[in-house]
Amino acid sequence: MGLKKLFLRMATIGLGIGLMTSAALAANLRVLAWDGYADADWVKDFTAATGIGVDVVFIGSDDEIWAKIKGSEGQDFDVFAVNTAQLQRYIKADLVSPIDVTKLANQKEVLPRFRDLTAVSGVTKDGKVYGIPFCFDSIGLIYDTDKVKPAPTSMSVLWDPAYKGKVLAYDNGEHNFSFTALTLGYKDPFNLNEEQMAAVKAKLVELKRNVLSFYTTADEAQQIYQNNDVALIWANYGQQQVKALQKIGAHVAYVNPSEGALAWLDNWVISKGVRDNAAAEKWIDFMLSKKVGGELSERTGFGNTVTETGSAGGNDKLVWLNNVEDPLKRSDMWNEVKATP
Amino acid sequence: MSETGSTLPAERRLSLLVTVLAFALPVIFVLVPLAIFLGYSFFSVDQGTIVYGLSLGNYIRFFTDPIFLPVFWNTIVLCVSVAIICILLAYPAAYFLTTLKGRWRYALLMLLLVPLLMSYVIKIYAIRSILGLNGFLNKALVALGILQEPSTLFVFNMNAILLTLTLLLIPFAILPIFLSLERIPQVLLRASDDLGASGLQTFLRITLPLSLPGVASAASFVFVLAIGDFLTPQMVGGISGFTFGRILYSQFGTAYNWPFGAALSVALAVVVIAAILIGERFGRNRGISV
Repeated sequence: MGLKKLFLRMATIGLGIGLMTSAALAANLRVLAWDGYADADWVKDFTAATGIGVDVVFIGSDDEIWAKIKGSEGQDFDVFAVNTAQLQRYIKADLVSPIDVTKLANQKEVLPRFRDLTAVSGVTKDGKVYGIPFCFDSIGLIYDTDKVKPAPTSMSVLWDPAYKGKVLAYDNGEHNFSFTALTLGYKDPFNLNEEQMAAVKAKLVELKRNVLSFYTTADEAQQIYQNNDVALIWANYGQQQVKALQKIGAHVAYVNPSEGALAWLDNWVISKGVRDNAAAEKWIDFMLSKKVGGELSERTGFGNTVTETGSAGGNDKLVWLNNVEDPLKRSDMWNEVKATP
Repeated sequence: MSETGSTLPAERRLSLLVTVLAFALPVIFVLVPLAIFLGYSFFSVDQGTIVYGLSLGNYIRFFTDPIFLPVFWNTIVLCVSVAIICILLAYPAAYFLTTLKGRWRYALLMLLLVPLLMSYVIKIYAIRSILGLNGFLNKALVALGILQEPSTLFVFNMNAILLTLTLLLIPFAILPIFLSLERIPQVLLRASDDLGASGLQTFLRITLPLSLPGVASAASFVFVLAIGDFLTPQMVGGISGFTFGRILYSQFGTAYNWPFGAALSVALAVVVIAAILIGERFGRNRGISV
């Protein structure tokens, strides 16, 4: 991880110098994105197709995006990538511009679940579209195909006494409360009232008694899987985790639960300080092409919004992650769950 | 004259600078941060931001909330157990070392300390895979016929934390015990022998009492290191091995409740300081008579 961060830093510094030299030449499109969202070959293709130069700056955390965009009131970048949980904060702070979807030809070709953007929670406000989804992954369930029969369809299998001591769960109060709320059938897993919180907590104590351990990194889960009898893994790292396990020869499969899988969703947004709106629209449209989408999934393992991937089947129910009512309370209650004997 | 006149104040100025630095470094890097920490423990958090108003709320919560004291107590019991097991294993090892002659003694001592050069995390990873259901320990026990089938007794519970911490911290127990054993004058042992005491009597009446200061400091070392550890419980503790270190850690990461985390740290610090004082008291009492 440290090494990756170092590389990111170096890339950022390198690009920073690149920015300074090119800024004098022409008004390039300024893009702020995660590593893997604006690869050099795509940028080259984009410039070849449109004649628009691009300067990319990579970021390493949500906080860093906020600091960069908020720090310049949106003046330093034209286009950037944020997830749905974060986007509302930018809209509220008036840092992003509404997007005219009719200018994006490729948006009409996206997967059905992303076609009607008003149905994608978090990307619109007051009828205006602020974010164009392009990359996502679900937090589903990994199961060992030799040990779990029949194939599970719901997270409720994690509570099945048949798998006592063979379940790997994730050590995070926020997510665990959300997915358990979905399993209990609550409509809005991100805004739970007192009564629902208590019910979820009781259910999590039950889950704990069925669990072998709580993991934090994908690597860790893989190591525990290799050295122990594990049948089910709550897959915080989605497809990346499945593929890594399959690579080491594990007989595992992935399913999004029928009650709905939590999922993160990254969007392209146009900043308030955009210099050339048409160029920004062209960039987003280019990123929604079948070629870029397919390559993005191939390279990162994440799902894209234009071609089908393992992240989600067409009928899978996905629940886009959102800010929770009270992170501190969830964290405290998660400690209580863990401290319950 | 003028030359010596100018160098003397320069020398004095240098020594003054060294003195100031010698005091300034611990003050700036130890005392000030500790004071800030103590200060934070009286603040509170509202909607994700720290409120800089003084209150005893964090401490009241620590003593009244039903989850903290039991976990705190269990953790202390766990770490005392780790210290006792470490002593029981380290004492014979250190004693054996002192019976060796010349360079063997130090060569072997170095070998015992080599694990300290390895990364802590890598050691935990390695130990975890040894303890796992398909791990080396289970395979060995089954192959030897001791177990019918692999057992989940060794990983993801309190046993696992106990085993792992003991393995990780044993070098810290061997060293002080070895040093105190080595410092016992050989003439005392010979005198005891001359006066007709058996080997066991000599050990019980001379060696053991004189090595107790080493045992005391070894025990306080191990206890202090064990109780401050959150990584080992996090990685091998599973669902039943929930320790105070894990609660503390969660206050800083996900919860972003630094003031409460600071208050919990203060509680931990009180226990740690008490352990160090007890270790030092025992160490000094016996040490003077040597």
